[in-house]
Amino acid sequence: MKFKEKLKTDKFLITAELFPPKGTDVSSFLNRAAGLKSLDAVNVTDNQRASMRAGSLAMSRLLLEAGIEPVMQLAARDKNRIALQSELLSANVLGIENVLIISGDHPNAGEYAGTKTVYDLDTLQLIKTARLLETGADLAGKKLHGAPKFCVGAVVNPSAEPNDLQALMFEKKAAAGAEFFQTQTIFDAQDFKTFFDKVKRLKIKVLPGITLIKSVKFMQFLQKLPGVNIPQKIQARINSASDPLAEGIKICSETIKDLRSFADGVHIMAIGMEEYIPEIIKGSEETGIRN
Amino acid sequence: MIITSKKTSEEILESVSGADTLYIVSCGSCASKCGTGDQKAVSELKEFLEKNGKTVLGNIELDSACDMRLAKKDLLKNENFLKADAVITLSCGAGSQSIAKVSEKIIIPALNSEYVGSTERIGVYKKFCGICGECILIETQGICPRTRCPKSLVNGPCGGFVNGKCETDQTKDCTWVLIYEKLKKNGKLDKFLNQYIPPKQNKEY
Repeated sequence: MKFKEKLKTDKFLITAELFPPKGTDVSSFLNRAAGLKSLDAVNVTDNQRASMRAGSLAMSRLLLEAGIEPVMQLAARDKNRIALQSELLSANVLGIENVLIISGDHPNAGEYAGTKTVYDLDTLQLIKTARLLETGADLAGKKLHGAPKFCVGAVVNPSAEPNDLQALMFEKKAAAGAEFFQTQTIFDAQDFKTFFDKVKRLKIKVLPGITLIKSVKFMQFLQKLPGVNIPQKIQARINSASDPLAEGIKICSETIKDLRSFADGVHIMAIGMEEYIPEIIKGSEETGIRN
Repeated sequence: MIITSKKTSEEILESVSGADTLYIVSCGSCASKCGTGDQKAVSELKEFLEKNGKTVLGNIELDSACDMRLAKKDLLKNENFLKADAVITLSCGAGSQSIAKVSEKIIIPALNSEYVGSTERIGVYKKFCGICGECILIETQGICPRTRCPKSLVNGPCGGFVNGKCETDQTKDCTWVLIYEKLKKNGKLDKFLNQYIPPKQNKEY
């Protein structure tokens, strides 16, 4: 069953994400992907944190060839409306239907701080554009020879304050045509539930993002990323752990276990440590960790 | 007004390296008001050039350097302007180009044009307007997200704000949080929810 169809079922959906290589050697990417075949879909990031990498489209296609259903992330940051629409058509030509529409991290803190950002379309406009292409027309009002078919996803940040503004954006993006949501990272299932309760009446699947904290140093790096706010109790657990990675895995498993009781699924961001994802999922299925 | 900033001494010296005699044209409008083209700036530039072996034949302040009619009237009969090897401008790019358009002189800009600024107090300017040609302030509570949101998101925020601050700079308020607070105060959240601003029609060329 395709991801788009699974969204209509009650299945607890599990997705993860991979970042493309910086260079042409795809071996590590494919190795990391190999352990993720049992997941419902795997996202491929689009020059995340405004770094320069191989494209999401090419790597999504490689996932498809490896038997994994990809979600191609598409950032509004780097392409104008011609290139964005073209990328969407190209994705469909190569068999990629799932697209996650994002604004993209701003380059100012990254390795290309001086680059010219594009932001020709914003995320709402890009979601609507994907839906428009499906009708067989483009933004210029021209007829397409062969219309694409997408499963369009969008992003919200359940931890951002003011929280109600993110809930409003959820509703706006849903009205624009988003069929599912994956979120920026959360660290506490109950905090996420507060947000989820505001939007669940819309009956659109939301997969909250969780991040594997692999070390104290990595936690400090994470804390500096846009929209990330790690609760004190999680920081304390990692800081005092004799094996921070094992503790990070445990935290992820516990969070997923909590999510299973009310959420639609989870989106796991292991950031280079994807080999631990099966262990995280297994841990979340075991009874007796908590409760 | 158009906010300008001074180019570095090194840049200016390199630009004037081929000229022995120079003439300074400053703008009495924006550049003068923001202190980059006022009398003090002109005197400092003159002194700097002379210290570096150049001859400054004179200077003039145009009421508005961007008005080609004034540039023509005030400059084309000015002997020292015409005699100088090159002309240094203390104005925005629109002013420098107006002078370049009406004369055949080599124009050396001494300022960089930054943005259209609103003055909070002397020396503190805010970039509120991006002179985009498609004003949406009526939809956004008088705060322009196209200019003030670093991602130019016109239909609502991204997920990068933390406690109301922008992901690009934790010392700056998220523009959309500012708009949201006003929407809430003015009872316009429902309107915002149903509002969609379509892609902008760019008319740059």
